[in-house]
Amino acid sequence: MPGGYVGKILRVDLTSGKTSSEDLNLQWARLFIGGKGLGAKYLYEELKPRTDPLSPDNVFILMTGPLTGTTAPCAPKFAVYTKSPLTGTFLDSYMGGYLGAELKFAGFDAVIIKGKAEKPVYLWISDGKAEIRDAKDLWGLDIHETEKRIKDEVGDKEVKVAAIGPAGENLVKIACITVDTYRQAGRGGGGAVMGSKNLKAIAVRGHQGVSVPNIEEFIELTKEITKNDVVTEDNLWAKTDGTPGFLQMVQEGGVLPTRNFQMGVFEHANEIDGDAVKKILVRKRACYGCPLGCGNLTQVKEGPFAGTVIEGPDYETLALGGSNCYISNVAAIAKYNLLCDKLGLDTISTGDAIAFAMECFEKGLITKEDTNGLELTFGNVEAYIQMPNLIAYRKAIGDVLAEGVRKAAEKIGKGSDRFAVQVKGLEFPGYEPRGSIGMALAYATSDRGACHMRSWPVNDEVFGDMDPFTTKGKAELVINGSIGQNLYCAKWSLVVCDFYAIGYENMARLASAATGWKLTVDDMKLIGERIWNLIRMFNVREGFTRKNDTLPYRIANDPLQGGKADGHVVKPEDFNKMLDEYYKLRGWDEEGRPTKEKLKELNLI
Amino acid sequence: MRLEIFPEKCTECWLCAAVCSARLVGEFNPSRSAVYVESLLPEKLVMRPYVCIQCDEHPCVESCPVEAIVEDKELGIYVVDKELCTGCGACIEVCPYNGLRLDPVENYAIKCDLCRGKPRCVEICPEEVLKIVE
Repeated sequence: MPGGYVGKILRVDLTSGKTSSEDLNLQWARLFIGGKGLGAKYLYEELKPRTDPLSPDNVFILMTGPLTGTTAPCAPKFAVYTKSPLTGTFLDSYMGGYLGAELKFAGFDAVIIKGKAEKPVYLWISDGKAEIRDAKDLWGLDIHETEKRIKDEVGDKEVKVAAIGPAGENLVKIACITVDTYRQAGRGGGGAVMGSKNLKAIAVRGHQGVSVPNIEEFIELTKEITKNDVVTEDNLWAKTDGTPGFLQMVQEGGVLPTRNFQMGVFEHANEIDGDAVKKILVRKRACYGCPLGCGNLTQVKEGPFAGTVIEGPDYETLALGGSNCYISNVAAIAKYNLLCDKLGLDTISTGDAIAFAMECFEKGLITKEDTNGLELTFGNVEAYIQMPNLIAYRKAIGDVLAEGVRKAAEKIGKGSDRFAVQVKGLEFPGYEPRGSIGMALAYATSDRGACHMRSWPVNDEVFGDMDPFTTKGKAELVINGSIGQNLYCAKWSLVVCDFYAIGYENMARLASAATGWKLTVDDMKLIGERIWNLIRMFNVREGFTRKNDTLPYRIANDPLQGGKADGHVVKPEDFNKMLDEYYKLRGWDEEGRPTKEKLKELNLI
Repeated sequence: MRLEIFPEKCTECWLCAAVCSARLVGEFNPSRSAVYVESLLPEKLVMRPYVCIQCDEHPCVESCPVEAIVEDKELGIYVVDKELCTGCGACIEVCPYNGLRLDPVENYAIKCDLCRGKPRCVEICPEEVLKIVE
């Protein structure tokens, strides 16, 4: 058997209550590595097309990679792979923390969960065994309390827990999964899938090891890469500032989402930026095996939100829960962050949903009758801070927003779809595409809807030298850039963290050293492209084609206000030009379907 | 030679335990390491490693009913003789520094031996939480 993997998959059928273990499919592992690739492969093979994402038939997969649990730098992550209830597309959503490594130590590379438990349960995995346990007393609890109770019940504080909160239980489509207290699989509604299966939590503890062919050589390699490629100037921001350090750069580039994407700059940016977060910083936190440690453990010591302790807020939370809602109080954003973490809400989509509701309120499309009496205007902290609870418990307007902004706009009507900022139902993250046109293509073609972690042209267009307003070279950038879709597929298959800007070469070196396979740079490139195409096949099978690779109305029609991109829109002719070029470069037809030739070339048929 | 711990800088990355286990058991397995990391989050903002610091008092030595903690004259420290250790846990009970723990597989008390001269945990720690004091 190759190294790195532990070689077993845990299967759980919540309907029958049975669990079993089987060998990892090593043929697939060689073609797809792990993480995103292997997760997508198992999901593609095992999920019946057009399955209702919240039905017992949806498949919910946790997948690690061959580096998970080793000393490979910045490789603590694992992810959930399922069909998204928010978008109806393929969904992969990544978590840091320690549970991914612990799952390997417990003897499993992956967990595949199907069915639906009759009553609330949690899954207890330890040292090659699994047990479905009663979670009647945990149902309704917030995530931090759930984690604590499970550790108490098991009697081991080193147990790692992934759990949902009331939002996931109430099938809120922007519900997240929280792992190890402060790390989330935020996007796409994975929490609702767990909720639909009556699965409150997954708890893991292991005392088994992860082996590699030559452990001393492996450690030397990881030390060398850490020194020369990780703890370097390019990545050091993660250690010194963490993600809040982006905020001023994004503001300067004029792409900071503000007032529900009406503006690209926020006049109070310096109240919610990296320096503002540093004022409440207590200490840094890392995930398993990470020498960077981007996490900021913060504590609010005074004012109405005194006592708030959180790992965060990260950039995305500051942008979508801050400037996009016109909130300039970093303590309030920290509190919002904590509420979302405990209730189990994605801070990105939730921030967007609140901002959308604020615009509806200011335009008179909803009133105090809808908001439980809240004066839901931009920047109103008192109203803002009530919203996570309304959404998680589906109260008043929260019940509408719980479906995500696309569905909320359908329900509210009155033209509100013109400012529901999403692609395929997934709300935008913190980068305004009218000031970074490549980002428009990245959002439109991303496999799970508007996502910044599939390709990130902002790096070249806003922080780099590329013209952010012209279409030239953008399709190539999105596909093959150093932060492009293919490279990211390879990276997510090894489940290396976003914040280590790893290239193909070190991916190949680490993957080879862990597995014992001789993987080259070309192999990693091919694997990346193969994974992206497999997932496109998944989405095509679900009915997604060119008609869904679109931009929201606001981005194409409303001129952005303020900053470097003032007055810009993404013109439909420009967008279509990029999309045509993108499909052509991908080897897909005009409708965005992979051609037979391309699939053959990638060993997918 | 002994170890000093600067707990306030610990980020809970577990790299210390990962490289320690690689030496002790030839695989990555932090639960089988001489060093382990405690996290009191979210109640308290405390994370820190625990490992034998080679203290002068060494109550562990006196506590051992089978005299399995013996002096290594060459290194000038006390180490556990795995063959003699019965895994009773007496040393773990008396250690004021939480410096020992039981191996969950082989059931013996794991006590740091400073990698016999060049502690790996010290070398790998990204935040200099663990330091050598001569």
